[in-house]
Order: sequence, then structure tokens, then C-alpha cells
Amino acid sequence: MHVLFGMNPIWVAVTILLVVYAAIMFEQFNRAVLSLLGAGLMILSGVLTQEAAIDGIDFNTIGLLTGMMVIVAISQKTGMFQYVAIKAAKLARGRPWGILVMLSVVTAVFSAFLDNVTTVLLIAPVTLLITDSLDVKPYPFLFSQILASNIGGTSTLIGDPPNIMIGSQAHLSFYDFFVNLAPIIPLIMLVTLLMIWLLFGRGLHASEEAQRLIMEFNEREAIKDIPLLKKSLFVLGLVITGFTCSHSLHLEPATIALFGAALLLLLESWKHNLHGKDKAFESIMAEVEWTTIFFFVGLFIVVTGVEHVGIIAWMAEKTLALTGGDFNATAAAILWISAIASALIDNIPFVATMIPLIENMAPTFGGDQMIVPLWWALALGACLGGNGSLIGASANLIVAGFAQRAGHPIGFIQFTKHAFLMMLVSIVIAHIYLYLRYLA
Amino acid sequence: MHANLIMVKDVITCRSDQTVAEAIEFLNTKTFRIIPIVDDDNHILGAVNTLTLLTHIVPEYIVNGYLQSVPFAPDIGLLRKHYREILQKSITEVMDVNPTVVREDESLLSVTAAMVTHDRFEYVLVVDAEQRLSGIISSSDILRAMDKFIPEKAFDA
Repeated sequence: MHVLFGMNPIWVAVTILLVVYAAIMFEQFNRAVLSLLGAGLMILSGVLTQEAAIDGIDFNTIGLLTGMMVIVAISQKTGMFQYVAIKAAKLARGRPWGILVMLSVVTAVFSAFLDNVTTVLLIAPVTLLITDSLDVKPYPFLFSQILASNIGGTSTLIGDPPNIMIGSQAHLSFYDFFVNLAPIIPLIMLVTLLMIWLLFGRGLHASEEAQRLIMEFNEREAIKDIPLLKKSLFVLGLVITGFTCSHSLHLEPATIALFGAALLLLLESWKHNLHGKDKAFESIMAEVEWTTIFFFVGLFIVVTGVEHVGIIAWMAEKTLALTGGDFNATAAAILWISAIASALIDNIPFVATMIPLIENMAPTFGGDQMIVPLWWALALGACLGGNGSLIGASANLIVAGFAQRAGHPIGFIQFTKHAFLMMLVSIVIAHIYLYLRYLA
Repeated sequence: MHANLIMVKDVITCRSDQTVAEAIEFLNTKTFRIIPIVDDDNHILGAVNTLTLLTHIVPEYIVNGYLQSVPFAPDIGLLRKHYREILQKSITEVMDVNPTVVREDESLLSVTAAMVTHDRFEYVLVVDAEQRLSGIISSSDILRAMDKFIPEKAFDA
């Protein structure tokens, strides 16, 4: 290793990582730019060769994210998500608490299969339209949707970026996630809704007239493009079936998502001429969240650099020393530390650092098969922890942005005061679940 | 042909201390559908047109979210509510601070290109060498000017 000026590579790598993470928390620069600068510095300073850096990028995560973003960008144009949201609100007969529950459940279910940010981008505007119609304050509705998006996202491999990373790097399938995480999600959702009811439920009232107005929404009008709807549903069905069977087909999720994306891109612009097809492709590609994608690329390289100098193995050793090498204590520590950390910082860089750390613990506990419960602890902690504060997850901030611009700002303190306790309760439930199912 | 030859020089303007209600009063009584807001030296601070005002009364989450059109929603009285709310606002709160502006000596080609590519509204504001407002050109002013170049039409006239 030929590190610049003969400096200690450990300090160079750790400094780059800490500066990048600090700069991300500072929220003055685009996070993709910061992570790419950090990645470049890892190579320029000699910690990593370009080859080693590229090897560190998890293209399965990148491919899965990009593929799903393309599929959602096309299928959201059909209006199908608005259709479901309005249908759900009408099923509640226009009653405010009923609507809150229905929209939360819809958010949780969508979040399980779509990116959380995309889900709230689709549901929050419809919610504001509904609360404006009901003439009620939108805060309880948006609050419960933030929580629902993070809770629902926990349940599947594709629901939340931490899960995508964990699944990809620990070689856990969509089916593994579904069987191990999804069963506890309905209970967490139910308990959370109960707490929300105690907090806001009794205060929600709307006039008879306003409730009738909700029943006048015509969800059929939300569907904008029926042929495209059929194509989107076909591809979404294919992709989800593919995810479910991916393990027995020996396919990685990125292959399935990107193949589905390419297929839907082909079907979407089938009738256009070549120029029109090119235009359609470019306009969909413009909707992919490139900030997230390139943030991942840079982040993987930065974490690889730190791993390369041996610091992560050292941290794993120290953590094990702290828990005395006890498996139950280690699982509990991962769950709680992930939850608190994810409430305070972006859970994506946190999980990116934790994954190699947990991998390094495998030999102590008897191999890769034995540490699987630790992955579930990490996933539950990192995903549910996002509910701990307004900056805990990107979806939280997106909803806050909508609320602000609609004239009903969500305060950091106000949100955290309500949400932190609910997050802790969800982690207690997760802890009991992990204990009963894997540890006892 | 240059901008100063086809522009309308008699322009109604607003000062920054006027309200939206006053601007709407002008827009409703005069033929122009745009009002420049200027300072004491006639420098342009911004402009308000009928479309800017409508943009401010449609809820922001519809315009900038994934919704964009809401054919499924009944009339929920939001427009009226927001319309009442903006009437008392200062005109500077709703004005477009970056209206399309051209210089007096710009060619008609340049003026037309500026109007089309900005894709905002059918008016451009014209300024003199000191950046002071000197006139307004509408899309129909340009079409009328072009008409004069068609020989057959000139002959008929």
C-alpha cells in the first residue's frame, strides 16, 4: 500500500470516512457529491486501487434500486397509486380516523414493495387533498404515514435500502426476508396505530358535509392510461413473482428488477417511432433518483477503504469484547444501537458500515449460517429506527417538505416528541420477537 | 426590425407596496394580462400575470407533487379559499422575479425565440440600455408585425 506522504493508511481512511459522514449530516451539499469525493480521495490517497474500489461497489444493490425506480417511474404515470389511496379513503366512508388508518395501511403495503420515498411522494399529496376536503389538520395523517412507510418498508427485501444492502451482501433472499421480518410487522403497525389513536384519534372530527365530499371523489377518474396500467401490472406481477422465486432460480434481485425495468420500458413506448422511443426512455431515466444511486456508489467505496485497512475487523473485535462474545447480547446490542443510530443519522451509511462489521463476527459464532439472526436485528433496528426523529429517514423529510409547502409545517421537536417513544415501543416488540424466535 | 419598433410603450405598472387585489383590479380592467412591478427608477423587480396568480391559488402539492391533475377530485372550495387569502398579500410575495426580458435593440428573431423558449407566458418585457422598463411585446404583436412582410397581404390591404 503506497499511501500519500507515507501517512498511516488507517488514519487516512478513517479521516475520509468521518469527514464524509460529518459533511452529510451538515446538510449543505448534495450527498452523492460528498460520497463520490470521499471515494475519489480513498483512491487518490493510495488506500485503495481503482480496481479494489470498483470491486467494493455492490452492483446488486445499485441494480435493484435503479430497476425498481424505473418501474415505479413508469407505473406511477397510470394513476394506479392514487386510485388505491382514494378507494381506501372512501372505504372508510369519509370518517377522519378511518381514513387515517386506511391511508396508513396503504402506505405500509406500498412501502413494502416500493421505495419509502416514492411511496410518500405518491400518497402525501392525495392525503393533503383529502385533509383539505375534510377541513382537518393534516399533521396526524402525515405523521402516521411517515411511521407506516418505515414500518412497512421493514417487511421485505426491497422495502427499504438497508434491507436491499443486507440482502445483497449477506446473500439473503426476498423469501428469507419475507418469512423472517414480515410476520412481526402487522403487530408493530397495530400497536403504533393504537398509540396514534391515543394521541390524536379522539381529536379528529369532520363535518357531515365534508365527509360527503370525500364520497364524491371519483377514483376511476384517477386512472389516466389503461393500456399502460395493464402493462405495468403485468411487469410488477412478474417482478414480484421473480423476487419470490429468485432463490430457487439462482437469480440475484438486481437481474430481476433490471430485466423488469427494460421490459416495461420496451412495452411503454411500443407504439412510438424510434425518436419517440428514445425520448420516452430519456424522460423516464430523468426520474430515477441519481443522487441516491451515486451516493451508494461513493459510499460503498468509502466503506471498502475503511474495511481494507482493517479498522472494521478491529471494531468487530471490540464490539464482541464488549458483549463478551455472547450471541444474545450481541444481537440485542445490534438491534438497539442500530435503532438509536438510525434515528439520529442517515441509516444508509450506518448500515453500509455495519454490514462488514457483522460479517467479521461470523467466525466467532460459527460461520455465516449462525449469524443470520444478527442480520434481522440490523434490519429491524435500522429500518424501524428511522421513525425516531424527523431526520431518521429520507421519507420523513420528504413528507415534512410537503407539509411545509402546504402551510402546515411539521416541527423537528414536535415530531420527535411524538415519534421517538413509538419507535422505542416498536424496537421492544422487535426485541421480544427476535428473542422468542431465534435466541431463546 | 427591432423590439422597440413593435413594443407597446404605454405600460401599466405596479409599485412593490401594492397588494394583489390592486393588481387583479388592473388585470381585469385593462387589455394586458401582465403587470410589471418596478421601483422608483423604473427598474423591473418582477412581474405578475394572470397565470402567476392562478399558480398561487392551486395548492402547491398538486402542482409540484406526483398529482399534477386531479380529475378525480370534486370541487372542494380550495380555489376560493386560497383566492381570498392571496388578495391581501403584497404583490411582491406572488410576483415572478424572473420574467422574460429583452433589450430594445434585440432583433425580432431574438425576441420571438426568448418568448418561445422561456415557455412562461405570451409577453416579454422590454428594457432600455439602463435596464429600465420601456415597453411590452405580446405574441400577437409579433404575428401582426410578421403579417406586414407578406406581400400578397400588403397588396390586398
